[in-house]
Amino acid sequence: MTPKNNIVIGIIVALLVVASYNVDANPIEFVEGLPNLAIVVEEMLLVEPKYIPTALWAMLETIQMAFIGTMVGTVIALPLSMLAARNLNSKYVYGPIRALLAAIRTFPSILWAILFVIMVGLGPFAGVLAITMYTVGFIAKLQYEAIETIDSDPMDAVSSIGVSKWQLIRYVVIPESASHLLSQILYMFDYNVRQTSILGLVGAGGIGFYIINYIKFFEYGKAAIFMLVVLVTVLIIDWVSVKIRDKYIIKSQHGMEITSK
Amino acid sequence: MKQIQMTKNPPFSLISTNKIIQMSDVWTSYDSKNFALEGINLSIDRGTNYSIVGQSGSGKSTLLKLMNSMMIPSKGTIKIDYVTPDMNNKKFKKMMHTIGYIPQSLGLVKNITVLENIMIGALPRLTTIQSLFKRFPDHEIQEAKKIISQVGLSGKEDRKAYMLSGGEKRRVAIARALMQKPTILLADEIVSELDHVTAREIMNLITDAQKRMNLTAIMVHHDMQLALEFANRVAVIKEGKKILEIGVEGDTIVDFQTGDLSTEEIIGMYDDDSKK
Repeated sequence: MTPKNNIVIGIIVALLVVASYNVDANPIEFVEGLPNLAIVVEEMLLVEPKYIPTALWAMLETIQMAFIGTMVGTVIALPLSMLAARNLNSKYVYGPIRALLAAIRTFPSILWAILFVIMVGLGPFAGVLAITMYTVGFIAKLQYEAIETIDSDPMDAVSSIGVSKWQLIRYVVIPESASHLLSQILYMFDYNVRQTSILGLVGAGGIGFYIINYIKFFEYGKAAIFMLVVLVTVLIIDWVSVKIRDKYIIKSQHGMEITSK
Repeated sequence: MKQIQMTKNPPFSLISTNKIIQMSDVWTSYDSKNFALEGINLSIDRGTNYSIVGQSGSGKSTLLKLMNSMMIPSKGTIKIDYVTPDMNNKKFKKMMHTIGYIPQSLGLVKNITVLENIMIGALPRLTTIQSLFKRFPDHEIQEAKKIISQVGLSGKEDRKAYMLSGGEKRRVAIARALMQKPTILLADEIVSELDHVTAREIMNLITDAQKRMNLTAIMVHHDMQLALEFANRVAVIKEGKKILEIGVEGDTIVDFQTGDLSTEEIIGMYDDDSKK
C-alpha cells in the first residue's frame, strides 16, 4: 500500500461521508425501518392465487411489448450503427450520428415512457415506443463498437479490390459482426423485459401497471403475485438466452478465434 | 535447388520495354524520421513472375502495399500501368479491380462460404442489387466454379472460411484474386507459414495461373530458394534498400545490379542477412 493509495482511499471515504450527510443516508433509520419491512413481507405472504391468470396475461403483454421494442429498435439501430462506425465513415458522418445516439441514451426508458404517454396517451403503445427508443440508443452503440473491432485485414483486402461501400458492408461488415449482433439482441431483449415490467409505473402498459396500483392500495398480497411472475419470467428468459448463446454464439466466436492469428 | 549458370549477357527475353510497374526513388516513412523504404528504383515487365526477398522489417511488404495504393510514398514516383496508385485518383480507382492483392493474413471473411469469398473478387463487375441480394449472374458462377476447380477446392464451395486448413485458405485467397480477372497479382508471404510440400503446391498454383493468364505476379518471400525456384526475377531488399536484382532464365542467373557475383555469393549474401 503506497502513500498515494492511502490518499485516494481517504478522499473516497471523505466523499462518502459528505454525500451520505447530504442525502440523509442514515443507518439508524434503516434499522428502525426493518419492522415495516416485516409487515410488508408478512402481507405479501398472503398471496391470492386466483390472480395468477391475470398476472400471466399481464406478463405476456409485457414480453410482447419488449419483443416489439427490441426488434423494431434493432432494425432502426443497424443502419445508424453503420453510419456511426469510425472505420466506415468520415467524422462528418459519424460525429453527428454518435451525438444523436448519445442523446437518446441519456434518458432512461422510464423518461421516454413519460414522454410517449403524453404523446400517444396511456397504454402499452407508449411503452413500446419507449423501449424502441432505448433499444435504438444501446444496440446502435454496441453494434458500432462491434463493427470497429472487426479485423481490419479482410476490410483492407476487400477494399483494395475496389468494391463499393454497400458491397463492403454486405460481404465483410455484416458477416463479421453478425455473431455480436445476435448476442446483443438477446441481451437487450432480456434487459427490455425487466425495463418494460416497470414502465407501468407511469401508465405505459405492462405488468408494472398492476404492481404499482396494488401497492398504492396497500394490497401487497396481490402485488406479490405479479412480482413473483416477473421474477420467474426473467429467470427463465435469462436461462434460455444463456442456452442460445452457448449453442450459436460461442461456437461461431470460437471459429473466429481458431482462424485469427 | 537447381544448378544455376551465371552470365553477364542477359538473354533477349529478359529485356523488354513493356513496363507494368515503375518506381523511381521511392521513400516511405511511418513517421518523419524513420524510413521504411529508402530510394527504391524498380521496374517490372508485364508478364513477369517477380519475387521480392528480404527479412522481416526490410520494407518488402511496404513495397507491395505501394503498388495497390494501400500506402502512399512520402517521396518519389510510382506508376502502375502508367497510372499513379492513389485512392483519390479516379483513373487508378477504375483499374483497382484488376490488381489482385493477397495480404499475409489472407484477408478472408471468416463467416461466409468459400464461394462467397471467391465471389468478392467479382463484386466490381456486379450491380448493387445483384451483390446485395447475392444474385450472381450465371456466367460469374461458371467462372467461379472453373477457378474453384483450378485451385483444387471442388466440393468445398459451401464451407465457411473459418473451417478450412491453412493451405485451403490460401487457395481461397488465390481464387478470390483470380476471380478479379487481374493483370497484376500481389501476394505477401503467402507460403511462409506452410510446410515444404504445401508451399510448393501453392506456388505451382500461382505460377500456373500466372503463365496461363499472362499475369504479372509480384510475390514477397523471405525464402530465397523458393524465389529462385519459381520467379523470373528476384529483388533483394535490405533495410529499405534494394541491394540486389537478378533475373532467372531457365538455369541461368543474370545479375542486373552488381554484375559480378557468383550464385554462391548471391545466396550466401542473402543467408548472411537472414541469419542476423
